[in-house]
Amino acid sequence: MKLLKQLSIILGICLVGEGIAQILPISFPSSVISMFLLLVLLIAGILKMEHIKEVSEYLIQNMAFFFIPAGVAIVEQYELVQGKILILLLVSFLTLILTFLAAAYTVKGVIWLQERRKDK
Amino acid sequence: MSELLYSPLFGLVLSLLTFLFAKWIGSRLKLSVLNPLLLAIVFCIVILQLFGIPLEAYEEGGDMISVFLGPATAVLAYSIYRQFALLKKYFIPVLCGCLAGSITSMASAWLLSELFGLEEDLQASMIPKSVTTPIAIGISEQLGGIPSVTVAVVIVTGIMGSIVCPYLMKIFRIQNRIAAGIAIGTCSHAVGTTKAVEIGEVEGAMSGIAIGVSGILTVVLSLFLV
Repeated sequence: MKLLKQLSIILGICLVGEGIAQILPISFPSSVISMFLLLVLLIAGILKMEHIKEVSEYLIQNMAFFFIPAGVAIVEQYELVQGKILILLLVSFLTLILTFLAAAYTVKGVIWLQERRKDK
Repeated sequence: MSELLYSPLFGLVLSLLTFLFAKWIGSRLKLSVLNPLLLAIVFCIVILQLFGIPLEAYEEGGDMISVFLGPATAVLAYSIYRQFALLKKYFIPVLCGCLAGSITSMASAWLLSELFGLEEDLQASMIPKSVTTPIAIGISEQLGGIPSVTVAVVIVTGIMGSIVCPYLMKIFRIQNRIAAGIAIGTCSHAVGTTKAVEIGEVEGAMSGIAIGVSGILTVVLSLFLV
């Protein structure tokens, strides 16, 4: 019963998120809207952590599994990018590293600035 | 026989078995290059190709799994809430990190695509590659890209991120857990976040926040590109 209750809360919120996504004028993913919705409900205290604990932990721990079908479907795109695959992979790889470093060092740098200002 | 393959249970069982097998191999060899998600995808593709099973048959069950992508992303709110005090304290650094990462991602994807002589529609498909799939599709369409190529690049980027990020953390000595989490989420969205969750709870929560924040920032930034 407990798991079914948690599942209905989570899926219900996701359904509301999808509804909001359909109303929005720009294309924005319902999953991210649902994430913010869930966060707001938790912060407001309307929803308690124990209302979604087990199912949330289960989904988070097994998140990678849910991406398998999306990955398998990539084969369909093979012909579209044939001959360009190595370049696309190389660009993706370099962009990934640059993005990681830009984000990581900015966070580190701004935390350092923030803490230095506090010390003064 | 072919009726059996078109049962949704076929896609479900194939995904479960390949994932369990991939996890088992991963726990045996402890090499992060052997990412379970990547292995499971490769196993599924190889099995489908080998036995000449059409993708549509697999997708009968595969689509049922994909339904849970939304809820699995949404419940990241649970780990974000558990780290909420930390997020409040470091809100400005988090925001700046996501902004710097999003700008870098779009700019470098575009510049490098140009440098390597990719056609314009492929360039446009590459620009939103670091954000979560639904956002990326929207931006790709808006910029004149090919949405299906964008989906493929987004997934590939995510898998690369989940493999490469732990090494980047070591090589560049990113010991700050907030910085690491934000960087993983910004460069490789939800797929990278699966790895961040494994690394630690703070990393996972920050990576989850970065999916949303970087996604929004990328949408806003792309408005300036048209």
